[in-house]
Amino acid sequence: MAIEVKTQNLEMVKSLRQVPQEEHYVPGHRTCQGCGPALVYKLVSKATGGNAIFLGPTGCMYVANTSYLCAPFAYPWMHTQITNGGAVASGIEAAYQVLIRKGKYKGELPSIVVMAGDGGSIDIGLQAMSSMMYRGHDALFVMYDNESYANTGIQVSPATPYGANTTFTPPGKNVPEGRVLFPKDAPQLVIGGHPAVHYVATASVAYPVDLINKVRKGLNYKGPSFVHLHAPCPKGWLFPAQKTIEVAKLAIQTGMWVNYTWENGEYTYDHTPKEYKPVKEYMKGQYRFNHLSDAHYAKMQAFIDARLKAPGKPIAIPVLGPREQ
Amino acid sequence: MSRFIIPKHLEVPLGACLPAPVKEQPGMITGNWRTERPVIDHEACTTCLNCFIYCPDACWHLDEKTEQMVWNADYCKGCMICVNECPANCLSTVNELEFPDGVVRLEKPF
Amino acid sequence: MAKEVFYSGCAAAAYGAKDARVEVISSYPIRPYTGIMMELSKLVANGELDAEFVLGEGEHAQVSIAYGASAAGARAYTGSSGVGVVYAMECYSPAAGGRLPCQMAIADRALDPPGDFGSEHTDVMSARDQGWIMGWAESPQEVYDNTIMYYRIGEDHRVQLPQFCCQDGYFVSHIPGKMQMEDQKAVDDFLPPYNPPHPLNPKKPINHGPQIFPDQGSAINVQRAVAFDDIEAVISEVVTDYNKAFGRKYSPFVDEYMMDDADIAFFIQGGHARTARYAVNHLRKKGVKAGVSRLRFMRPFPTEAVAASLSKVKAVGVIETNTSYGGVTRGGNIAPEARAACYNLDNRPIITSFMAGLGGEIVTLNEFYAMAKVLSDAVKSGKANNSYWMNFEKEVLDTHK
Repeated sequence: MAIEVKTQNLEMVKSLRQVPQEEHYVPGHRTCQGCGPALVYKLVSKATGGNAIFLGPTGCMYVANTSYLCAPFAYPWMHTQITNGGAVASGIEAAYQVLIRKGKYKGELPSIVVMAGDGGSIDIGLQAMSSMMYRGHDALFVMYDNESYANTGIQVSPATPYGANTTFTPPGKNVPEGRVLFPKDAPQLVIGGHPAVHYVATASVAYPVDLINKVRKGLNYKGPSFVHLHAPCPKGWLFPAQKTIEVAKLAIQTGMWVNYTWENGEYTYDHTPKEYKPVKEYMKGQYRFNHLSDAHYAKMQAFIDARLKAPGKPIAIPVLGPREQ
Repeated sequence: MSRFIIPKHLEVPLGACLPAPVKEQPGMITGNWRTERPVIDHEACTTCLNCFIYCPDACWHLDEKTEQMVWNADYCKGCMICVNECPANCLSTVNELEFPDGVVRLEKPF
Repeated sequence: MAKEVFYSGCAAAAYGAKDARVEVISSYPIRPYTGIMMELSKLVANGELDAEFVLGEGEHAQVSIAYGASAAGARAYTGSSGVGVVYAMECYSPAAGGRLPCQMAIADRALDPPGDFGSEHTDVMSARDQGWIMGWAESPQEVYDNTIMYYRIGEDHRVQLPQFCCQDGYFVSHIPGKMQMEDQKAVDDFLPPYNPPHPLNPKKPINHGPQIFPDQGSAINVQRAVAFDDIEAVISEVVTDYNKAFGRKYSPFVDEYMMDDADIAFFIQGGHARTARYAVNHLRKKGVKAGVSRLRFMRPFPTEAVAASLSKVKAVGVIETNTSYGGVTRGGNIAPEARAACYNLDNRPIITSFMAGLGGEIVTLNEFYAMAKVLSDAVKSGKANNSYWMNFEKEVLDTHK
């Protein structure tokens, strides 16, 4: 008779008072002042409650967190290549399944969490992420989205919004808007083609209780889950460090970011404003959009308006490809 | 017998596997990054916990005995998210030069 | 009970892995190694082997899954061939530098372009400097034995390195041979369970692989250098134990055939050694004093054992079975290493690259005769070219006429 593999069952928190004071992502790391991804790391670590194994694909949250032979993770953590976060997590999960089955490891299956950036999730890391989701490993894939390859100096990634000035999409005479393309829809990629996945959610550092609960809910599923977390980057988006939360909230108020849950085919939306503010208000606060003209803002507004009709769902958005423009 | 002598300052644990930190990572003190620090007025504080939850560096905690917020001076980088997000306006931004222990110089370049 | 079977190299590898009680297997199809995974998938499906069989989405993922499993504390097994081996290249150094002793079975295949199913060692030889143990088997029996021995070598705490357990595609992987499979209990006694010093375990957390100061980079490198200093003693120990436990006669590093009175020698790794020995029997009948020195480990390169073996003869022809375009001999990668191993000898032999066994070609008896002629001439004249591309080299073709 095979031994049953027990997994964690984490309780939902109702208020900040119920959020544990204990830190698992401890102070003492070289992330920038006001770092959104670092805040994501702190909140996700709190959500797991310590019986966890974290994988850190290369990115800001590897390089800045673990500089010079010290790392701030109170749980087992391992570096992976930017390419293979999902694959290494799969190997670890498979190992724990067999070790528990054979009685070589006593205890619950630890929460296995991949903390990948946007590049490590939906660009160079897409294959490994998708395959971990597809094979149905009991692990959580977290995409902390700071909308660029920030560690190497703010280069464009598939998550970078239209119009952003990055060091690979500088605005110029021939390309006045800088970034020409609109971003990939990460949750849709996962929802659209992975039968083993039952839970996909988006959350923002602006709403930490919601973020913690979504991470816990994802972990409680016996199988793969995906959470896409908005993590403003003061250095990359060029806004003052104290405004990280303000920017994150404004993203939701303007429709640049939508918090929602996809659970077993059903969508629920959270923190939807009564009325959306113009997206220009969000963009004006960040120097990466400083070069844009009203025509560019209008183009972005049209994209957001179309997407807001059904966030997270495959709908036709009137966007021209680069060869059509 | 190995033919190698590895100088102390270059020693790296095998495979770069280090014991995990427990409460803090003292190998990366970041308090010396600040030019300003948040100062709390405990009278005005409602312990709403915004500073605790929003600090990327986990530098605010609630002391359960005193029911007061405690700030971690060793690691606070001075981003001032806490000041920005404080609904009670009990946090203020004060220049490091105002403090006898302010402006900690770096002992080494990193 | 040990039993005699008639298995291909692929089946031998699979049963070696089964008897080593591998716990996590990651697969992806590519010829010719695929047979290993086909066999293992059956063993897992019918309950003969209790392991997780993870369907990798490519070789890069296969190796990542394997070293991840190894980091978590499971004995991990994967494999590949040809372009698949080089597709995974990024993952080799993290596995070795992270000291994660998973095993990768290699059944060699030529690299593109264009597509070529044939055997050639260039695929995994491209990864020889990543810190993995690497060696070739010449028969299904040796594949089975190496699979078990490599785990014990790699998992030894003095070593802690991943292993490429190589066999020639088709020549070994697909040609069945008579071999002995050992009793599970005896294999268990020989190979203890994998016991990593610091697995990823929430009860005793470690941080594996944080960034370092650039000047600590060399300290990480020197860790692997230390392991490769110590490894020869471990290999000797393991091979001696294996011979004793199962009645084999492996020499740890260099397997010699008729070398003691030879004038010329073929230096070779893998399955073509069997043809070489056959050719030597014929050459001996013709009065040519030829011998075969077969390399059992490419990494660690057994410098002293190679020097001791090759110093017995006057001229050595390295049958490369791999390419190194623009390399020092304009031939392959093994001759430069063999030459370097012999450099300090007073009586060092002439050493040349024979470019044969490439792209899946069979090294024919006629080629061996031609090579012997080149070597015999070299003994007389005291010199030889750096390399000879057999079947294409004007000088060789002329002699052969």
